[in-house]
Amino acid sequence: MVTSRSDNIFNAVIYVFLVLVAAAAVFPLLYVVSMSLTPYSEVVKNGGFIVIPRKISFEAYERIFGDPALGRSMLVTLIVTAVGTLVNMILTTLAAYPLSRKNLRGRTFFLLYIVFTMLFSGGLIPTYLIVQSLGMLNTLWALIVPGAIATFNVLILKSFFETLPEELFESARMDGAKEFRILWQVVIPLSMPSMMTVGLFYMVGHWNSFFSAVLYITDTNLYPLQVVIRNMLLLSQSSELQAEVTVPTAAMQMAAVIAGSLPIIAVYPFIQKHFTKGMLLGAVKG
Amino acid sequence: MRTRKLAVSLLLVTLLVSLLGGCGGGGKSTEGNGQEASASAGPIKLEVSQISWGTNLPADDFIKQKLDSELGISLTQTLVGDQADYENKINVRAASNNLPDLFMVTGKPHLQKLAESGSLLDLTSYLNKMPDYTKYAGDDVLKKGIVSDKQYALPKAGQSVAYTYWIRKDWLDNLKLAPPATVDELLSAAKAFTENDPDQNGKNDTFGLTGNNFQTFDPIFGAYGVTNIYDGSQLSLKDGKVVVSLYEPKMKDALAAIKKFVDAGVVDPEVVSNKGTMAKDKAFQGKVGIINIDWAQMVKDDQVAVWKGANPKAEWIQLAPPKGPDGTQNANSINIGASGGLWAIPKRLEKEPAKLNKILELINYTATPEGGRLVQFGLQDVHHTLDGDQVTITDKGKAEGGYTWLYQFAGRQETEYLKTKFTAQAKSIEFEAGLPRIETLDGFVQSPQGYNAADAGRFIEEEMIKFVYGKNSLDKYDQFISMLESTFNYKNYVDSAVEQLNKLGYGK
Amino acid sequence: MEQPANLQTQTTKPQPKAPTGQLRKAWADLWKMKALYIMLIPCLIWYFIFKYLPMYGLIISFKDYNFSEGILGSPWAEPWNKHFTMFFHSPYFSQLMTNTLLISLYKLLFGMFPAIILAVMFFECRVSWLKRWVQTLSYMPHFLSWIVIYGISIAFLSETTGLINRWITEAGWNAVPFLNSTQWFRSILVSTEIWKDLGWGAIIYLAAISGIDPTLFEAAKVDGASRLRMIWHITLPGIRNVIVLLLILRIGSILDAGFEQVFVFYHTRVYEVGDIIDTWVYRTGLEQMNFSLGATVGLFKSAIGFVLVLGANKLAKKWGGSIW
Repeated sequence: MVTSRSDNIFNAVIYVFLVLVAAAAVFPLLYVVSMSLTPYSEVVKNGGFIVIPRKISFEAYERIFGDPALGRSMLVTLIVTAVGTLVNMILTTLAAYPLSRKNLRGRTFFLLYIVFTMLFSGGLIPTYLIVQSLGMLNTLWALIVPGAIATFNVLILKSFFETLPEELFESARMDGAKEFRILWQVVIPLSMPSMMTVGLFYMVGHWNSFFSAVLYITDTNLYPLQVVIRNMLLLSQSSELQAEVTVPTAAMQMAAVIAGSLPIIAVYPFIQKHFTKGMLLGAVKG
Repeated sequence: MRTRKLAVSLLLVTLLVSLLGGCGGGGKSTEGNGQEASASAGPIKLEVSQISWGTNLPADDFIKQKLDSELGISLTQTLVGDQADYENKINVRAASNNLPDLFMVTGKPHLQKLAESGSLLDLTSYLNKMPDYTKYAGDDVLKKGIVSDKQYALPKAGQSVAYTYWIRKDWLDNLKLAPPATVDELLSAAKAFTENDPDQNGKNDTFGLTGNNFQTFDPIFGAYGVTNIYDGSQLSLKDGKVVVSLYEPKMKDALAAIKKFVDAGVVDPEVVSNKGTMAKDKAFQGKVGIINIDWAQMVKDDQVAVWKGANPKAEWIQLAPPKGPDGTQNANSINIGASGGLWAIPKRLEKEPAKLNKILELINYTATPEGGRLVQFGLQDVHHTLDGDQVTITDKGKAEGGYTWLYQFAGRQETEYLKTKFTAQAKSIEFEAGLPRIETLDGFVQSPQGYNAADAGRFIEEEMIKFVYGKNSLDKYDQFISMLESTFNYKNYVDSAVEQLNKLGYGK
Repeated sequence: MEQPANLQTQTTKPQPKAPTGQLRKAWADLWKMKALYIMLIPCLIWYFIFKYLPMYGLIISFKDYNFSEGILGSPWAEPWNKHFTMFFHSPYFSQLMTNTLLISLYKLLFGMFPAIILAVMFFECRVSWLKRWVQTLSYMPHFLSWIVIYGISIAFLSETTGLINRWITEAGWNAVPFLNSTQWFRSILVSTEIWKDLGWGAIIYLAAISGIDPTLFEAAKVDGASRLRMIWHITLPGIRNVIVLLLILRIGSILDAGFEQVFVFYHTRVYEVGDIIDTWVYRTGLEQMNFSLGATVGLFKSAIGFVLVLGANKLAKKWGGSIW
């Protein structure tokens, strides 16, 4: 392939820009990692700042993973994230697809019906009463069902579906395909990047959520990871208890942050793969 | 590949079914009111709820086991990590008429709101069932749980009395200075710490004084016999009358004195924005030589390890609060109206006398010498040994006792308790507990209608910073007060506060 | 199952007036698309149960909430607008509005464009390992909580101990109060937000770009278009509807300036430029356990947001790419 001069300059600009973005992200993150590996007295000795730890200690991680609550809560979070995301994706796709069809009668009404709830909400108490009356209190369903649909994601997916060329549907319909089949065999395979994106948003949402667990769950065995991690960080914020308990060190706090987010961060590279061009290629031509 | 995927999904499904299923059943028993239990002969189920600040109950909860067998109950605790989450949880449970059998209210406004709603049981007539508790707490403590002349909450006894200036002894020695005893001496020590290179590293990189926000200056306010300006420390008793800090003539002198520190450039420039452990970190890093802090953050073993580890030469000592021009000295004020915890019981328990009696018995038990020792120090001869009245904590007790405060329903005698738990720090604890302090009464007061304490508080804080940092002249102090009274309704608040306090027997 | 059925008939209500031919056509349309309506049913039911049934909670703004009476049983506020006036009459009201709008607008402007640019750069990047690494790295900060980010900011920016200020003072200049002064506060809020969510925000645009028909690029290439021209004429127009959608939604939440972040970062010295509606509600509500106040201010924000969304959508319709 021949590259022109302007192309080279263009590439160089991109590389410089991306390297800068990476650097801006990496130094603070390195700081977090180093803090988790360094005894606090070492940090203090260095004037509160450390980038490359000289004395490495895995004590913080040992203590965090020594907590039996961590493994259990990780399992809870995995289950809620897996099942929750599945439920989310099914409902969201089923909602987004019809709403993406411009000739659907009542479309404006349906869209207003869902957008309205993005802005107005009845608040904590009525929602709690509904979850309670459905018998979901203190079950993992309470972490899945009340958040089964995020309007934002429906709208995103709908707008992605809208960009699919109309000819696709026509040719599929010509072949006599029913809507469910079109959705399953044409729309979803062609929308992998957007499906993945929305799935990622839901997954991350489940992974990071703690408030609904605090509200709906009483049994500590059912606490998800973020509640357990938050509890580890909370102790240091209560000045009254300074005397009472041994406050987790900064290293432990940072280690908790890393342990709590690394698994979900590790998911991203797998999703990234789908953000390449050419998804539509075969379909339109074929 | 495919089989592995299948196996993983199968595993997930099995786990899911077992978890969702198993816990659905378990959930009902904890959330329910356990009416069946009180009818049957078995142990009575009690649910207690409070803020845990992240403390977890261990799997082998020896205090619960002992309490259960001692009192014939089955006690569960529903713990929520922080205050905002806890309030939300209690509020939705109040709305669904499903409050725990005994729960902590987070403060006077919360108590008042719940009491006015009729959600709480008036405990006035039940106090006589708890003779040990009422004696242990005393009238002054019980007062904290009163709303509209009714005992709606049972306050925990005991209040932490800590905080004073800590100073770098080795820096003083390097500069051949004596520990400062007056405000003026404190200023010159802080100046020397800033300008004369106390750590002898050849760099001009140190400050004199730090702390968290205006709390830094508490003892300087105290030297003028007034309290800090923050919410919760504006009302106190003087010569048998309720006085308001901002109206005290000495307030201006105190602000002028603090301004001198700021003008001299000896105060940590970030003092107002210090949060969490920022101030302490600076002290431990050797950036600053005087800090207003409590013993627990300074000389508990893990803390000493940090600052000694960072700088083996460092040596921190406590200072008595500096004396003002007329010899007055006071360390940080204490809000005697605030409680370490207010326990409330839902109204519905009126109809479940067996359960109610057990709760009263439980609270009372933790106030008896025997029960008190259990919830403070653990099991006798396992976690502590008893020699006459002298409690000594064993190594096992030190290792396992970190959560026992969650069972101290009746509270504790703070200083004695801490001295027993932290024998090595007993001297520092006693020193801070014994310092003269102004007792503030704000905790007893409820804001009247039309007074927004948050707005007024913000205005006061901002104006104080302007005075101290020289953005506004102290001559304008009277204008500040009149603005506070007109725009922020402060007068209205003060009148109402004095009236409320008089009613409780303060200042009359 | 009943509810969505009702909703469907509602949408066809104009029927009786219409001539029978049109009616029949409407019905035929519905029937032809029955599969689409069936797909919608679970979503409509879910919204009804979890979003619309609790809506009665909105009236708490006009009530004096009482725990045991419940929302419906609580007495009406006297006068009815009591909680609204508490907010509107706060001496800080206009300052709160200004701060909220400014912070929010800055975040909107400086948050959205960099994310779009980054997504385009990812797409244009020909070195796939660089692209992969930068994507993953820039996505990570999203997972740090604001408390942790504040800790990092202190480590880098603190006036007395921060790394950057240490460099500045060692170079002989005066330390800069990044976290500590009214001049810097909003810039710090905006830049930390960009730092946190740049990579995260780019994902959605990147996904949109991946959905563009590649034959368009190929055709342009054959015509000899430069890459910049392709970005301008193919890539950006191709993701226009996602950009417009996000813009409309952001405009709807213009009165949310990011409570968690501001709450962690602010302090008395910067209230003047940093105190926003939500932090005010937090402080005031906390002090007085006033449920209705939070709900009331929420209703105020929702109403304004809703009007803005309707307006923005109308505007967007002119340019194409509206929500409905």
